[in-house]
Amino acid sequence: MRRYLKRSMFQIVFVILGIAIINFFLLHLAPGDAAQVMAGEAGSATPEYMAALRRQFGLDQPLGMQFLHYMANVLTLNLGFSFRQGMPVAQLLLQRLPATLLLMTTAITFAATVGGTLGFLAARQAGRITDTIISAVALLFYATPVFWIGLVLMVVFSVLLDWLPVSGMASIEAGHTGLAYGADVARHLVLPAVTLGLFYLAIYTRLMRASMLDVYGQDFIRTARAKGVRPHRIAVRHVLRNALLPIVTTLGVQLGSVLGGAILVETVFAWPGLGRLAFEALFARDLNLLMGILLCSSIVVVVVNLLVDLAYTVLDPRIELS
Amino acid sequence: MASLSRRHLLTASSALALFAQAGRPTLAAEAPKRGGTLSVILQPEPVTLTPAANTAQPTQVVAGNIFDGLVYYDSNLAPQPSLAERWEVAADGRSITFHLRPGVKWHDGQPFSAADVKWSLENVWKTINPRDKPLFENVTSVATPDDATVTLTLSAPSLPILSVLNGVGAPILPKHLYEGTDVLNNPLNNKPVGTGPFVFKEWKRGEYVLLERNPNYWDAGKPYIDKLIFRVIPDAGARAAAIEKGEIQYAPFNPVPFRDLERLAALPALKVETRGYEWLSSLFYLDFNVEAPYLKDVRVRQAIAHAIDRDALARVVWFGYAKPAISPIPSTVTTFFDPTVPVYAFDVKKAETLLDEAGFKRGADGARFAVTHDFLPYGDDFRRTGEFLKQSLKRVGIEVTLRAQDSAAFIKRVYGDRDFDISSSYNAAFPDPQIGVVREYWSGWLGTKTPWTNGSGYRSAAVDRLIQDAAIRPDQAARIADFKQFQQRVQRDLPTLPLLELKFSTVHAANLKGLAGQGDQVYASLKNVCFDDAAKVN
Amino acid sequence: MLLLDVAPPAPALRTPRNGLFIRLLRRPSGVSGLLLLALILAMAASANLFYPGDPLDMVGEALLWPGADPAFPLGTDMLGRDLASGIFHGARVSLLIAAVATAVSVVIGTAAGALAGYYGKRIDAGLMRVTELFQTIPPFLFALTIVAILQPSIPTITAAIGITAWPGLARLVRAEVLKLRHGELVQASIALGASDARIILLHILPNTLAPIIVSTSILVASAILTESSLAFLGLGDPNVVSWGGMVGAGREVLRTDWYVATVPGIAIVAVVLALNLLGDAINDVLSAKDRP
Repeated sequence: MRRYLKRSMFQIVFVILGIAIINFFLLHLAPGDAAQVMAGEAGSATPEYMAALRRQFGLDQPLGMQFLHYMANVLTLNLGFSFRQGMPVAQLLLQRLPATLLLMTTAITFAATVGGTLGFLAARQAGRITDTIISAVALLFYATPVFWIGLVLMVVFSVLLDWLPVSGMASIEAGHTGLAYGADVARHLVLPAVTLGLFYLAIYTRLMRASMLDVYGQDFIRTARAKGVRPHRIAVRHVLRNALLPIVTTLGVQLGSVLGGAILVETVFAWPGLGRLAFEALFARDLNLLMGILLCSSIVVVVVNLLVDLAYTVLDPRIELS
Repeated sequence: MASLSRRHLLTASSALALFAQAGRPTLAAEAPKRGGTLSVILQPEPVTLTPAANTAQPTQVVAGNIFDGLVYYDSNLAPQPSLAERWEVAADGRSITFHLRPGVKWHDGQPFSAADVKWSLENVWKTINPRDKPLFENVTSVATPDDATVTLTLSAPSLPILSVLNGVGAPILPKHLYEGTDVLNNPLNNKPVGTGPFVFKEWKRGEYVLLERNPNYWDAGKPYIDKLIFRVIPDAGARAAAIEKGEIQYAPFNPVPFRDLERLAALPALKVETRGYEWLSSLFYLDFNVEAPYLKDVRVRQAIAHAIDRDALARVVWFGYAKPAISPIPSTVTTFFDPTVPVYAFDVKKAETLLDEAGFKRGADGARFAVTHDFLPYGDDFRRTGEFLKQSLKRVGIEVTLRAQDSAAFIKRVYGDRDFDISSSYNAAFPDPQIGVVREYWSGWLGTKTPWTNGSGYRSAAVDRLIQDAAIRPDQAARIADFKQFQQRVQRDLPTLPLLELKFSTVHAANLKGLAGQGDQVYASLKNVCFDDAAKVN
Repeated sequence: MLLLDVAPPAPALRTPRNGLFIRLLRRPSGVSGLLLLALILAMAASANLFYPGDPLDMVGEALLWPGADPAFPLGTDMLGRDLASGIFHGARVSLLIAAVATAVSVVIGTAAGALAGYYGKRIDAGLMRVTELFQTIPPFLFALTIVAILQPSIPTITAAIGITAWPGLARLVRAEVLKLRHGELVQASIALGASDARIILLHILPNTLAPIIVSTSILVASAILTESSLAFLGLGDPNVVSWGGMVGAGREVLRTDWYVATVPGIAIVAVVLALNLLGDAINDVLSAKDRP
């Protein structure tokens, strides 16, 4: 176990370095640099301004030098400064991380629990009308573009019914604090979380259903049935436990993609998360900010994968950690 | 009797208005209701809040509330007193004197004085502000004989200066906070201190900018609104929903797609306003890369001009919120506009003839040649205009391949590498073409790779001379003559094709008053604005 | 199929391939899935027959509602382009992008997952690190970056989607392979002296088909939706008509003329439905006849 953990630490470092290198080269391969973006966004510019910007961003140095400088920062965990946002990257990340985590955990919890339950029901009723309806509804939610669902939900629940706010994370005009602020954020969270959740829900429904059906087809279930075990007990104690493996894997994958998966929802609902920030960083060729976000993301992914691997051993004792 | 006392009130308030500065926009007849929080759309999110080196739209929209200028511009684009109470321009144009308003304070309590103006001119307008730099080039010295007087001495006249003296055109920064610092990187740029009606409170990146009423504002009684919240909402559909619900009460610069604009305009709780943009006079144009193999020939460029039905473009893509343009100086800039320029009417036959003459006959498959079009990546309207262009040129045998990209790639391609055939963009013409228009045609920009300058690569000694002459003439009539000649020439050479004069709109709550009255309203402060019912008071 | 090497072969009534197809047709989901898919493929194939000419041509009045003008049964968009023509021609583009991208993802993902799960140790560690690398960079953002670098066009969008969507499948396959690797079937095969390739291809992969098939249908849908999202964010290919591009373009008039985004949206749902019904049916057939 200790060796496994030590190796995992090693692997985290490898991943982070790999990401750093990919990030650097991707952003430098992309046409246009940060100075051009800022000059463009300024509406007008002078050659001196652009030269000053390039000097400030270190873009006037040869590529090799820039790379070494950048790697040195990464290795010392110096996240640097985001010129486009005018703030240190670390501060920006801390500011947006809670919003992202809130949105994603709410959405995925909603999706996993509701989706898993629906998938369980569909598998139990496989071939019958309930199964068809559940599968069709899940499919509908998956196949419809996220921004379409978001906008429609917004129009129905926010504009027409006036039950929920349109966008943003909180109502600044009201100036709530404490518990009232929490309630305000919760109200703002409903539409974006549901929009995002509906998308993931379909995945969990289908996966749970397919996985359970797969297990149902196996010998030991036939044995249990022959032994006279009640169907409900079979479903919960034997099938479910074994069907959970792919679910856990998918959960791992989704938790890992926490930071990027919500770009569209965050854009439609003006939710101040890291997904949208990463998108803006890409468009602004903001190397430091994008690196910071990817760093966050990589740590989350590696940690989650570790937990998933450990969960495997719990769920299926035959699997050893190599 | 009720009516008598009402007339009394009217007379009293109008007398008060006369007593105050002349030329101020007169308000609604009733006394404006105080208080309330006004939520405004801010799209896209600005990079900074100080217009010192940044002339982008969202920065100006916010900064106009924090910074006062020497003047503001009324609906006729005539300068009206703001921080400057009166001013004189010498007959030979070589000196301008401003008499400043006494008793004005910065938001941090320090007194505003002529020293701030002098410092701003020397360290911002002449150096880092891209719009002002060429205009204030000839200012050789600034004298401040007392705290309330500023005198500029110029080596040669620069009349366009008088058209950029508002809060965002020539931003006055507090000397006591900026002197000795690196102006471009001063953290105050994102927490600005001005003299304006609203004080900066907070900027939560990605969410909002919060401004609060300045209790010590020099224009006594104003502003009426207590809080200004600028909200960042990236999605157009969400913006429309927010406006419709009343969560946003003021949204300038085409906040929603045109179709939604029509729909919102019909709602009783909302109004659509097209005034307030007169100072800008935006123009949408196509840049032809005059060094590209097919576009070298002026006949090809003229043929393309003939192939585009501008009326249809304005109607179908811009829903009528645009007017076909015939000159790089829009018709709204009445002083300089020349209606007699060569006009390229929609004439497919003429286009085909010109292309044949230029030697590009139709091939076996009907196509003459292929070009690319890089459209401005700032919104779907420009993409659809590109699609319209593609269809229009297809009809005369030119195959157009559209290229989509983000703004970094666009700027590098068009202004950096010049690896393009046709690109699209828009700019503000301002009341004086020297400020914005000439940037598109002056050859001095070539080789500098500066965005938004001379995209076509045009080089004409005659036009350069006209531009340089007009810059320093003391006599406005002579400048007008220069610019009329300028328009004749560039419309004949057609390195750039002006397509449409854009009509921006503002959507606002119907109970929001005081919005029309200034020509630069969209970049000015909202100090005259109030809600005329008590429901909004917080 | 499952027990070929270990138990004496049952009297073969039919070969697995034929049996599969026929068994599919026995199921309502199989039939409906196949029919729907056939219909959509027919639409794609006959695009030039029914709608010769360029779907990008502005042929009618803008924003005509479906049914308002018999010449345009599905209406027109904001530039006066025929939506029906767009649907037919868009079928080709969207299906092509989805098919190729998914094929790329499935090949890479299955190979990576199988090799990692089977060989374990260093190979597993190495492959999993690479998978993690690709997983850490959020797939959509990664695809965005690739498209931004290479400039949006059908080939670049396809490549971007294909090479960013495989990590999930790789981990799924690896999990299944891990399960089987330590199971009785494989132990027995190894004891019998079967080669690695034989074991992987004949015993392990066929048993991992269930999650692969489910994932494939998810991947295809995801590819179409990713393309639509790219269009939403301004990075679709502007020179062709694709269903995703049509939905993205229609969002500006979603409140007033919602059919512009909904008609192609329904097309997307239809193709995803077809693929999923088919996937379900195949999954049902392969996981034997046992029902709860």
